[in-house]
Amino acid sequence: MRRAWDGIVDFVVGDDIWIAVAVALLLGGAALLVRLGGEAWWVLPAGVPAALWISLQRARRAARGQG
Amino acid sequence: MTGNLLVFLGAALASAVEMVEALTIVLALGVTRGWRAPLQGAAAAIAVLAVVVALLGPALQAVPIDLLRLVVGSLLLVFGLQWLRKAILRASGLKAPHDEDAAYAGEIEAARAAGRSPGIDRYGFVISFKSTLLEGLEVAFIVITLGVNQGATAIAAAGAAVALVVVVVVGALVRHPLSRVPENTLKFAVGVMLTSFGTFWAGEGVGIDWPGADGALAALIVLTVAWSLLFTRLLGRAPKAVTA
Repeated sequence: MRRAWDGIVDFVVGDDIWIAVAVALLLGGAALLVRLGGEAWWVLPAGVPAALWISLQRARRAARGQG
Repeated sequence: MTGNLLVFLGAALASAVEMVEALTIVLALGVTRGWRAPLQGAAAAIAVLAVVVALLGPALQAVPIDLLRLVVGSLLLVFGLQWLRKAILRASGLKAPHDEDAAYAGEIEAARAAGRSPGIDRYGFVISFKSTLLEGLEVAFIVITLGVNQGATAIAAAGAAVALVVVVVVGALVRHPLSRVPENTLKFAVGVMLTSFGTFWAGEGVGIDWPGADGALAALIVLTVAWSLLFTRLLGRAPKAVTA
């Protein structure tokens, strides 16, 4: 059961958990903005590339650490 | 119409990438241990995957559309970003490219080293079943999520089926791993599509009204291609150490 759960988590989350966390934060922020009556359409197009860029920088630092 | 075409292409390309990897393992097993058990294992895995798609697709259609778009869009977005991340790291030289020939050689070595039991070749069956099932689960996930959200499950399934036929026919003809398939370019394209669809649907799920309605999807794809290429270029310039 535990292995199956780990497998599902690994399947969804992949190599960097930061991406899943960032997506959750961005969607939470966008949902909040919608609730407050603000314009929220820009949140994901701006935040998604920023989240990936941070993840790529983490990978680059990790690669440097190994090199 | 454009949305359906993108769903077809996304499902076909994602399926092709995963099926090339499964084909490498089945080929290595077939060449070293005989074809019967590996082909039976792959066929059994494809049957299991077909049942998963057939059961899960209609079940998801019963979920309210906004909730479905939020959950499935979020998963697609995370999944797409993981594919893009890997493709960008490989394209910029920070991660070693996937080498189908090396994977094939490794599988051949493992298949030769494994013992053989009398009767059916259990090793050939189990390894073929597991690898086809694992690679296929990603395909099933993408086909179901793309298809259900767009209301085009049959189109997404058709994309996967076309990819399956092409990869199997080409693999049967050349009997060698398809190492010349531009795997990273395909991964990049699929990552762009999943990220764009995921952004669009997850956004709708939390209540965003996209400017231009459905036309926003095309704009998101263009935008995602642009920043992905920019990131590849920026990372490619930096000093690096390559990880496997």
